[in-house]
Amino acid sequence: MPVLKELIDVITMKSDRPMRRLLAYYLILGVVVLILAYFFPEAIQRISAKGLGEVSEGPTILTDALTSPATSASPFGPGTLIDLAATTVLIMLGSLALMLPVTWVYMSARPIPGHNQNIVQTLIILPLVVSGIVFIVQNSLALAFSLAGVIGAVRFRTTLRDTRDLVYIFLSIVVGFAAGVQSLAVGAIISMVFNFVLLITWRYDYGRNLLTPTASSQWAAPLQTLASPTGDHEIPDRDLVLSLTPQNAEALADRFSRVEKILGKKKKKPRFNSVLSLTTYQVPEVQAHVEPMLEKLAKRWKLDEVVTNTGKPSEIYYLIKLKKTVPRDDLLTALHEGSNGIIDSANIETANPVDGKKDGVTA
Amino acid sequence: MIRGATLAVAVSLALSATACRQTPEAKAEQARAAEAKRTQAVAQRIAQADANPTKVVPLAMWLMPPELHEISGLALTTRGTILTHDDNVGRVYEINPKTGILLKAFSLTGNPKEDFEAIAIAGNDIYLMTSNGKLYRFAEGADGQQVPYVRADTHLGKECEFEGLTYEPDSSRLVMVCKRILDKNEAKGVLLYRIALPLSSPMSISPLRIPIQEVEGSNKWKNFRPSDIAIDPSTGNYVIIASREKGLVVMTPDGDVLRSEPLPGDHRQAEGVTISKDSILMVSDEANVKPAAITLYRWHP
Repeated sequence: MPVLKELIDVITMKSDRPMRRLLAYYLILGVVVLILAYFFPEAIQRISAKGLGEVSEGPTILTDALTSPATSASPFGPGTLIDLAATTVLIMLGSLALMLPVTWVYMSARPIPGHNQNIVQTLIILPLVVSGIVFIVQNSLALAFSLAGVIGAVRFRTTLRDTRDLVYIFLSIVVGFAAGVQSLAVGAIISMVFNFVLLITWRYDYGRNLLTPTASSQWAAPLQTLASPTGDHEIPDRDLVLSLTPQNAEALADRFSRVEKILGKKKKKPRFNSVLSLTTYQVPEVQAHVEPMLEKLAKRWKLDEVVTNTGKPSEIYYLIKLKKTVPRDDLLTALHEGSNGIIDSANIETANPVDGKKDGVTA
Repeated sequence: MIRGATLAVAVSLALSATACRQTPEAKAEQARAAEAKRTQAVAQRIAQADANPTKVVPLAMWLMPPELHEISGLALTTRGTILTHDDNVGRVYEINPKTGILLKAFSLTGNPKEDFEAIAIAGNDIYLMTSNGKLYRFAEGADGQQVPYVRADTHLGKECEFEGLTYEPDSSRLVMVCKRILDKNEAKGVLLYRIALPLSSPMSISPLRIPIQEVEGSNKWKNFRPSDIAIDPSTGNYVIIASREKGLVVMTPDGDVLRSEPLPGDHRQAEGVTISKDSILMVSDEANVKPAAITLYRWHP
């Protein structure tokens, strides 16, 4: 995989544009297939276009069973067990090679941030299974009926969050079928067209309601805020930009500006160097207990946020600057003492390097 | 270190693959060498068989490549080679039966997928027949070529499931043999349909029925379900084989049964038959436990 990534980087000149990277991948895949087809034309023909095109290339000497009985035939060559195994392996590898870019597209081209890891893994594994099934069932009505019976006993009741996920699953089944019937060329074309169409529709926001503003216009202001306080810098992190919805970006921008105000301007010493996080079911009591302690043991402190939860402990966050004379462990111990168990958990994360690295202590 | 090793493995694989790659020219050269050797070997076996005519031994048994696992009909060309085909795809293969060399393969345009059951050669035309009685007519193609075809429906598919086809040069007729008669009221036996060439509309079709009692002879066949038919070039008689019954029947074009006997040799699924002008019986077997093969025997009319 790192070698493949490096190759794609070289071809795309380290571009992070999905379309270019996808094209580069297919270019590499095409070259590999061409090389294999040159050296092993029959094997590639067998897995990519069985039943299509021509099979003959010059005369073929048939085996004379009278001089070399089938039972003692060579383990190599067409129709042998090794040939069957090689074909099966090639089918599996072929479907894997076709589904890898589909998973990349699935993970990157999404209107909703985040993806389901289970689906990503399913997209890789499902075609392998389907191709295996189809390869076994091929041309056998009896096996097909048996398979229907076996599959009928297994129930899938997964609800997919995004309806488009279902399309990806269908595609993985199609690729699996194509591999199973040894027509990977068809599977390759379908998956390629699928990937490019999906990227294009995602890139140009196809199907957008005309009454709603475009994603880029929605994102422009919060992202500029994110990029720099003055708003005159380029957006630095494209992946971050792509993964955010307008609402997320706005929320993040608000939070950044709040933190910026708290921490003060650049080049100044930070006013706070640690975050104290507490979880409890009794917020007012804990505040009443903790704040006098902080007044005594911390250089300065500020209540940052209280997140009230139902069904699980609420969270309280304090920004604090530790005294050099009071280590974090001592502060945490002091907080727990006399709390009568109203604090479920307490944790201090500090930005000051301790032994050369950022550290956190949980009590 | 790891990259260096990977590169070394890749290069060695590429080199070994280059060494293993067989060009068409190399294949042709190998085929020429094998041809001379095998012609001699088969001639020797024929001489041995002629020396002991009572003993039925195969003269040769050529194992088919994977694409011919479901080999079906056989038809003899004027060059002495045979044309055969796969059961599922419209692709025809030419094989030299005396040397066991697959000479060429050509396809019908678009590789139509049908249940092709038999093949016959009538002059410059080749006919492929499907189990439901459709006929594909086309000319012979070169190696790797796709040839255009014309399809004609005999409309006999409602009456029979067909398995055998041959060309009767004496009467310029195609002879189709029925494997399974679909009308359950019809008496058991062999049912042939003879279609005059060139095909006209409506087709000139004449049926020929031979009751099972006449077909079975001294054999204990309850039924006789033909899998192919051939014309004996020396007598003009019909030679019909049946895969299930493992039987062989010879009859005159008028329907008089001359011989009813078991098929020579051990045939798991005999699908095709033809007889050469120098009296060699050829039987094709679909892959069934054993690999697909064409077996040659000395034919005594």
